[in-house]
Amino acid sequence: MALIHPVQSVVGFNGGEIVYVVVKNMIVMYRVLYGDYQMVGQWVDEHIDTVSPLSKKPAKKSKNNAGNAVEKTSAKGGPVIPSNIRAVTVFDSGKKLAACTDSDKAVVIFEVDLNGVENCLKLVKRQPFPKRPNAITIDEDGKTLLMADKFGDVYSMSIDSEVTDAINEESSPILGHVSMLTDIKFVKGTNDKKYLITADRDEHIKISHYPESYVVSKWLFGHKEFVCNVSIPAWKPKWLASAGGDDSVLLWNWMKGVKIGEFNYKELITPYLSDLHLAAARFQNANNDSIEYAVAKIVALPHIPYLAFFVEATNLLVILKVSQDGELSQAQTIELPFNVIALCEDENKLLVALDNRSSNNRDFVELISFDENTQKFAIESTESRSINSAISFSLVDNHVAITEVDSIYPLYNTISLKKHGEHFS
Amino acid sequence: MKAKPLGSYSDSKRFAYRINKQENRADLKRVQFSPDDDQETSSGAVIALPKKKFYRQRAHSNPFSDHQLEYPESPDAMDWAELYPAYVDGATGKMTQEVTIADIGCGFGGLMVDLSPEFPKDLILGMEIRVQVTNYVEDRIIALRNNNLGSTEHNYQNINVLRANAMKFLPNFFKRGQLSKMFFCFPDPHFKQRKHKARIITNTLLSEYAYVLREGGTVYTITDVEDLHHWMVKHLTEHPLFERLDGEWEAQDKCVSIMRNATEEGKKVERKRGDKFVACFKRLPSPQLS
Repeated sequence: MALIHPVQSVVGFNGGEIVYVVVKNMIVMYRVLYGDYQMVGQWVDEHIDTVSPLSKKPAKKSKNNAGNAVEKTSAKGGPVIPSNIRAVTVFDSGKKLAACTDSDKAVVIFEVDLNGVENCLKLVKRQPFPKRPNAITIDEDGKTLLMADKFGDVYSMSIDSEVTDAINEESSPILGHVSMLTDIKFVKGTNDKKYLITADRDEHIKISHYPESYVVSKWLFGHKEFVCNVSIPAWKPKWLASAGGDDSVLLWNWMKGVKIGEFNYKELITPYLSDLHLAAARFQNANNDSIEYAVAKIVALPHIPYLAFFVEATNLLVILKVSQDGELSQAQTIELPFNVIALCEDENKLLVALDNRSSNNRDFVELISFDENTQKFAIESTESRSINSAISFSLVDNHVAITEVDSIYPLYNTISLKKHGEHFS
Repeated sequence: MKAKPLGSYSDSKRFAYRINKQENRADLKRVQFSPDDDQETSSGAVIALPKKKFYRQRAHSNPFSDHQLEYPESPDAMDWAELYPAYVDGATGKMTQEVTIADIGCGFGGLMVDLSPEFPKDLILGMEIRVQVTNYVEDRIIALRNNNLGSTEHNYQNINVLRANAMKFLPNFFKRGQLSKMFFCFPDPHFKQRKHKARIITNTLLSEYAYVLREGGTVYTITDVEDLHHWMVKHLTEHPLFERLDGEWEAQDKCVSIMRNATEEGKKVERKRGDKFVACFKRLPSPQLS
């Protein structure tokens, strides 16, 4: 049965006035017009490699037993790599949008028409890179984009300049790890100095100066598993929340380089674990009951002292309260109708994307907002209904979004970052 | 092809040798040899130096792969007392000294063995990613320490080796500015262009080396591959925190001559009458930051 592909990533702007969703290789923009969400822009990444990299290799010559040459045909040609769009980032007061495409390993930049009602996304730059981009951040002047790739390097790119062909020769990475980078953040310290914070698959969070990125300020040591993302609260820019494969989420004073808070979620999440959390076959134990889980995303609300995170392939959103001293305590949990795929913060709101495969094209995205009076977060049912009907209405005839159940993109990727020490020597 | 674990060659002579050494190592690795000990092993029996032929391993190791490595969570969590038992303060149990010289990719440990008596006041650590080669160096140090027990000249207590991936985990071992010298001797050349990130000297890794190296500290490089030499010189020269030391400085520095002549690779190149290219760099002070 055909259905609309679940939303893989969601980003809000201006308290949910504008919502961007990623569906397969497409970015769709919705905006509140006359009290309801409507689609006002979309962009499809047409650069699709339908031929998988494996089948592009020239067929090797070989001979059969009779000595005749055998033409090797790669009928299947290995798995086709889904062409995802990652790291959608709004900047320049909402007037620009940046993202990474998997298809040609590029960073794409859009101009956004904030007042338009149609085709509000205009692609202005598409810069390919040697390795697959994984995270992006923007310098404070809004003119430079910093991109962290899966090979561990960080490149600096001018937003307005022309596309360069030979990124390898003309610009070398400005800093790097020997590990896959999972997140990057530009931040201004309380001493007015500028820094870049990079997180990787080897438990490391590195803090480098910027633009003197060759001077490492420090590392934040404390994670025992991979770090999947970091988030800096706007109300306390010297703090940083981080999470990943560990049982705990951590809060740091990154300027001092010390851990100030820790919240262990193991007990909280155990009832929500399912077969989806069983370890992959080659890492499974003899009893077939080894369970692996990881936080897929942690966000710090910008104006209020709360953090929100979710564990991959669960339907539980956990909200933590941050004390004056940085201590973390559980404030609230919200059970969503389906497993959470993506999470973002937007002013005092949280937006979540759900694995709504079985919902009959409902519940793609939920808006959750903070009520000042009750000091609680709650699902905004009216707004959520509005955005979901806008998504459903605008994509039901869309040939990109409509998919079969068995060709849905992999939605639970985070746990594959876990290391198992497979290599012996 | 993946290397097989030791157990898969259980009928070979090498296997028996390795098992025997492994047991010895487990016993002796952490032992502080001292002349007045009446332990069995230190009763004057000479331990034979290990034989390289029993420690053969593929010459390359992929620094990007997910190895089974042991490393401390942070430099503060590192237990150096195990590696340098002679430098533990008996009263407090704390180290009296920190490691200040690192040989990155120490191979069979020839450089360390020669540096050891030259720098008796420094602790020297070798880091090597290949398991069997690390085992060899451990056995070599155990033998050297044991056989020089009564020596008034030098007893090799100031060197040791760790199996580690220095490209990934160097900052887990060393604090900022802890090291005064870093050696990169005959590193894997990784000729292919697409493999260049696997080289031990890259502009991004140099920033991490600069972090663990104190201002005024020295990076030593030597290789027999001219292309690699030019690559290392180019990247170190371009890096704002390093400055090349001139030929005059190289001529008077004792480490340069040890590096030229002591390492196993150095001797091999000598036998084959190959060229050796040396370049040394000083760690400059960090600039004013914006």
